[in-house]
Amino acid sequence: MSEHHITPLKTYLAVAGTLFFLTAVTVWVSYFDFGSFNIIIAMGVATMKASIVALFFMHLLWDDKKNLTMFVMSLMFLGIFITVTLLDTGFRGGVNSEVEYPINNRATFYDSLPLTDTHGHPVDEHSADQHGEDEDHH
Amino acid sequence: MAENQKQNYLTHPKGIMSWLLTLDHKRIGLMYLFGGIIFFFLGGVLALGMRLELAAPGNDFVSNDTYNNMYTLHGAIMIFLFIIPAIPGALGNILLPLMLGAKDVAFPRLNLASFYIYTIGALFVMYTIISGGVDTGWTFYTPYSTTSTSNVIPMTMGIFVIGFSSILTGLNFIATIHKMRIPGLTWYKLPLFVWALYGTSLVQITATPVIAITMVLLILERLLGIGIFDPALGGDPVLYQHFFWFYSHPAVYIMILPAFGIISEIIPVHSRKKVWGYKFIAFSTLSIAFIGFLVWGHHMFTSGQSVFSQIVFSFITYFVGIPTGVKIFSWMLTMYKGQVSFTPPMLYALSFLFLFTIGGLTGIFLGAVALDIHLHDTYFVVAHFHYVMQGGTIIAFLGGLHHWWPKSMGTMYNQTVASICCLGVFLGFNGTFFPQFLLGLRGMPRRYATYDQQFAELHNYSSFWSGILGLSIFISIMNLLWSLRKNNKLDPGTNPWGGMTLEWTHTTSPPHPHNFEEEPVLEHGPYDYDKVIVEPTFKK
Ligand SMILES: [Cu+2]
Repeated sequence: MSEHHITPLKTYLAVAGTLFFLTAVTVWVSYFDFGSFNIIIAMGVATMKASIVALFFMHLLWDDKKNLTMFVMSLMFLGIFITVTLLDTGFRGGVNSEVEYPINNRATFYDSLPLTDTHGHPVDEHSADQHGEDEDHH
Repeated sequence: MAENQKQNYLTHPKGIMSWLLTLDHKRIGLMYLFGGIIFFFLGGVLALGMRLELAAPGNDFVSNDTYNNMYTLHGAIMIFLFIIPAIPGALGNILLPLMLGAKDVAFPRLNLASFYIYTIGALFVMYTIISGGVDTGWTFYTPYSTTSTSNVIPMTMGIFVIGFSSILTGLNFIATIHKMRIPGLTWYKLPLFVWALYGTSLVQITATPVIAITMVLLILERLLGIGIFDPALGGDPVLYQHFFWFYSHPAVYIMILPAFGIISEIIPVHSRKKVWGYKFIAFSTLSIAFIGFLVWGHHMFTSGQSVFSQIVFSFITYFVGIPTGVKIFSWMLTMYKGQVSFTPPMLYALSFLFLFTIGGLTGIFLGAVALDIHLHDTYFVVAHFHYVMQGGTIIAFLGGLHHWWPKSMGTMYNQTVASICCLGVFLGFNGTFFPQFLLGLRGMPRRYATYDQQFAELHNYSSFWSGILGLSIFISIMNLLWSLRKNNKLDPGTNPWGGMTLEWTHTTSPPHPHNFEEEPVLEHGPYDYDKVIVEPTFKK
């Protein structure tokens, strides 16, 4: 096949720098509450980092394009899975309104931890109880 | 040279270790065949046991709990241990390199590893059976599967492990098809069975990881109580069904696409006619593989998913009918004005056309939301998927087995017995499953060990014919094995059906240990019956 590509050290360092920068971005955005966009932003940054690793460190950029096609296809199928499933979870309650929202929005794992707000400051149990239902509207 | 001609992969090298550690794709294929047939037998015995229980209303043969175990194991064994691995693992392994003119698959060691991974998965399943079984149904729906006290974990572990065998086989076949073709064997000169294996492999590597992760999530939820599927823990039980069917609908195509490939080989050879619409058949395989990823929600019309996604899934499901119809018409036009000979493989192929069409069309009924809400979880669904899985895949598998048996084993079975058995399978199958359509329409629910008196007559009829079906399949397999007796060898140059693909024209029956004595040179396309005459030769 095509001759082996040798990546200059400078590229590796630049990629590593970008990865560190994006890690800092992840930490930084965690201090802001974007509501339901929290997960989208976090996953977006993570996907960017994973793609950079695959393209440069794993040489997909210079490899046979068939390998890149396979990689992109797997992302595409993941995209299909998530978006089409959202057509269900995003539109529940059309007939029976009681199934529109989940019973419990948080994993029970969090029940064992002391309640905090999105910045990690402890929250008074009593007042949290009153707002327990609408965490998304802070 | 004379010494060399006597050598074939079955007898050379010798010894049990030469089989267990073999890297020869043909031997690995035979080991898959052996494993597959054992589980086919086991699944079949469970099926007949269920039919016995259902021959009359009331619990006269097994208890409700035993019945729950039986249908779960029947489904899981037939699907995960027989149908999914059987055609690609057995026939695909034996034939793919031969059809490409290659010495072996791209990664022979990985191929052997896939077989052993399959064996390990099978051991998990055997453990499940011995330690008391599992009663969730082969779909392992939550919340029952996370709360049932039966052995859900070893069973799902088994399926997790077998998944990797499937992924690695798919990967191996894709690499083989891309890299191991002889010069001149371009994509449009590939036998259609190779196209079918290619489409199957793509589905295997893209969908199977999802069932693996689903099983892991299920096990984690059972063991650690993390909230993924349990609403009380913040999960969503319908999410499990999304995960499960995102794999399991494409898995229907993992099961049926190789069957399409077999039919695409049998029909032109036994009609002595060039295949009609080669590119139509080839590309319909790929489009079925792709559309298959967009329709999974049609299994969930009564699960509480949103009405919006029900409409979307129902609409997209109809599109599967188009490429499937294209194939059926291409096969019929291939036979049109051909010299059709009613050999055992061809009889199976003709049965396939009839049965699969019924299976496919009733699938379109069930894809319609309004009708499915009425028919969901009734015997109509049971009859539908048996027409697809058994009437489609298993019939094609038996046809392929009879077609390539002289090639892979170098012996010829009794063709009269084989033809009678094929008729028995056809009649027994319709007798067993057609009444189930009627039962379903009248409201008989699936997965019950007993039923109301009004269903008794049809159930009884179904049970009677299931005996004929089981017996016919058993005799046809015995007929194949009986051909392996001493002094029944065919001449190594035999080409009994006059096949034109490389495995028939360029190697002996059974093939040389390295497939071809020298690299074959391509002389004609796979189905050029209009240009070249390849006479069937049959001598002992
Ligand atoms: Cu489906």
